[in-house]
Amino acid sequence: MSEMRETRLFMISPRSMLTPDQLSRMVHSFGESAIVKETCYGCLVEAPAAVVRQILAKVRETYPNEVFSKVRAYPCSDPRRCRAQHGTRPGYAQLEEEWELLSRIQYGLENIRDGDEFPEPEDRKRIPVNDFKKICEVH
Amino acid sequence: MKVFIDPPNSLVLFDLVERFGHEPLSAMAAIQERVDNLEVDMPPMNVTLDDVVKGLKYAGVEVPSGIRGRLAVWGPLIDQAEAAIIMDDCPYSFGCVGCERSNIMVQYLIKRRGIPTLHVRYPEDDQQAVEFVSRTKQFLEGLE
Amino acid sequence: MTIKIAQLSCGTEYSSVQYEIEKAARSVGAKIVYPDVSAADIDDAAKRFGFNPRSPQLKLMIARAAQLADEKYDADAVFIATCFRCAEAALIRNELRRFIQENTRLPVVTYSFTERLKASQLLTRMEALVTIVTRKELLARERQSGLTAGLDSGSSTTKAVIMENNKIIGKDWTPSGDVVASATQVLENAMKMAGVELKDIEAIGTTGYGRFTLGDHFNAKLVQEELTVNSKGAVWLADRQKGEATILDIGGMDNKAITVRDGVPDNFTMGGICAGASGRFLEMTSRRLKIDVTELGALAIKGDWRNAKMNSYCSVFGIQDLVTTLGEGKSFEDVAAAACHSVAEQVYEQQLQEIDVRRPIIEVGGTSLISGLVKQVGEVLGEEPIVPPDSQYIGAVGGALLSSGFL
Repeated sequence: MSEMRETRLFMISPRSMLTPDQLSRMVHSFGESAIVKETCYGCLVEAPAAVVRQILAKVRETYPNEVFSKVRAYPCSDPRRCRAQHGTRPGYAQLEEEWELLSRIQYGLENIRDGDEFPEPEDRKRIPVNDFKKICEVH
Repeated sequence: MKVFIDPPNSLVLFDLVERFGHEPLSAMAAIQERVDNLEVDMPPMNVTLDDVVKGLKYAGVEVPSGIRGRLAVWGPLIDQAEAAIIMDDCPYSFGCVGCERSNIMVQYLIKRRGIPTLHVRYPEDDQQAVEFVSRTKQFLEGLE
Repeated sequence: MTIKIAQLSCGTEYSSVQYEIEKAARSVGAKIVYPDVSAADIDDAAKRFGFNPRSPQLKLMIARAAQLADEKYDADAVFIATCFRCAEAALIRNELRRFIQENTRLPVVTYSFTERLKASQLLTRMEALVTIVTRKELLARERQSGLTAGLDSGSSTTKAVIMENNKIIGKDWTPSGDVVASATQVLENAMKMAGVELKDIEAIGTTGYGRFTLGDHFNAKLVQEELTVNSKGAVWLADRQKGEATILDIGGMDNKAITVRDGVPDNFTMGGICAGASGRFLEMTSRRLKIDVTELGALAIKGDWRNAKMNSYCSVFGIQDLVTTLGEGKSFEDVAAAACHSVAEQVYEQQLQEIDVRRPIIEVGGTSLISGLVKQVGEVLGEEPIVPPDSQYIGAVGGALLSSGFL
């Protein structure tokens, strides 16, 4: 991963009361020389990788279960991926879906069950043809 | 450890892998490497003809170019992965990879590597999410 | 005005061809755009469309098409492209094309690409999309007026036509050599036949591969790609200006199949992956039979293709088939018929699958003079095509007709 530049999106779980504005202001308040762009889901942060990691650690410390993040391939406002230039790009719909999922993941993190065993869920099996035939004959 | 995630651009998997102490191998990193390469001018992703040709390592010439190009991007990540997490039963708009055949091939390539792999189901409710997160955490913490 | 071409596609970015597509669009003054969709739109659109592919990107294509059909997104034309050899995408590509045509009035072109796609291969198609949008009124023109000339600089032949008051008064053609020299020669002969001089001609229209060079040289009022120009020429010559039709032009280097509504094209395919599906294969056959290509048609009419096995899927193997068949002692007539049938079959398999063939079929271009080929096209399509008089002059007639719109 490039140490030169890291662009990271921070997404707030819909279960959280935190607003993108509060999150962006908090990141600004860290005083690091990062580009912070408020978005509808949270914010985009861009800086050298080491700086972004420090910001990530601080955000995690304050909001451990309700802010999620991943890196973004393109720099902020890159015309190659800018929505204003071309319209939505392929990954957009997935982000929308994942944003909704975050609500459950937040719940999962808050109620994590360490040490519990989770058996592999069984695959649904079809009934043997002969059994099915018998059912058909009865009816 | 380097953990390959599938779907390779998933925010949830990327976050959890990192949160529990490992390095996610994601689509974003692979594409960032390309888009930051200023010597190549093939926007939007800087995937080049050379990349698509390199995809021949994973699939023959009779396979559509889009699949070979995708495998040229994800293939090297799978090659260096030490573990993998695969989210099954994703809702169908999931995955910027976009091509089902490529997705199936990616899962097969992971299987062939023989690395520790966790299959998790896309959670449908809060209880399933608890299981999803707990299993993922256990798997990641168990990686040595 | 920048024309917005909505792109519905799968695999372009990973095939390294997206840049080429955008370059082709830019060079004709257009811009590629993607209709906005949300995750919910994708679910709804796939359900409504009724074809639910496994690949997410194909679902996205469907959702984007639905945005256009519902007029929630504003675009001027549609470009649908998917990977060559992907079966799932090929089905979606064609069904979406049909969906767009049934639900919008947007011109649409489909394309299946490999990683080798270059912008130049898309230029004519993109240019035609732009022409249909920007020159709607010109394309609606049904009568030629004044004294005008049309020049069609094709890959095999160069044609010139002089028209006055909606009539052809001079025409000539020659095999293509130097672009300007060939055009000058045919134009002079056509003018001689018409009894006019260059200074009398009020407007010139150029089309075909050499259109830009000729446009500069002759100071043409109209320089336009051959898809729209040829279709105008075809409906004028066949007197089918109203209603629907399919224009089939089996050319020397590539083939065009264009569907028109009231003389204006709304969908077209243009292909040329293999010479086996073009007029070139018939030239090669004639040479092997030691006859002139103009004699091939009459010979083929007398033969029965069923007696000689031939498949021109690849022209090299097609000629091998031909040699083998002749070696087996088959008649020249049967071999000529088989060559014509093979080309007709290839055009049907490779191209006509990409459009909805609308009746009547108007067959034009130089190869429409090969009667044996027309017969085989009719046999393959189940309906004899109309071959209008002067069918080889469609491009030149279209050029003369449309350029009169600038008077």
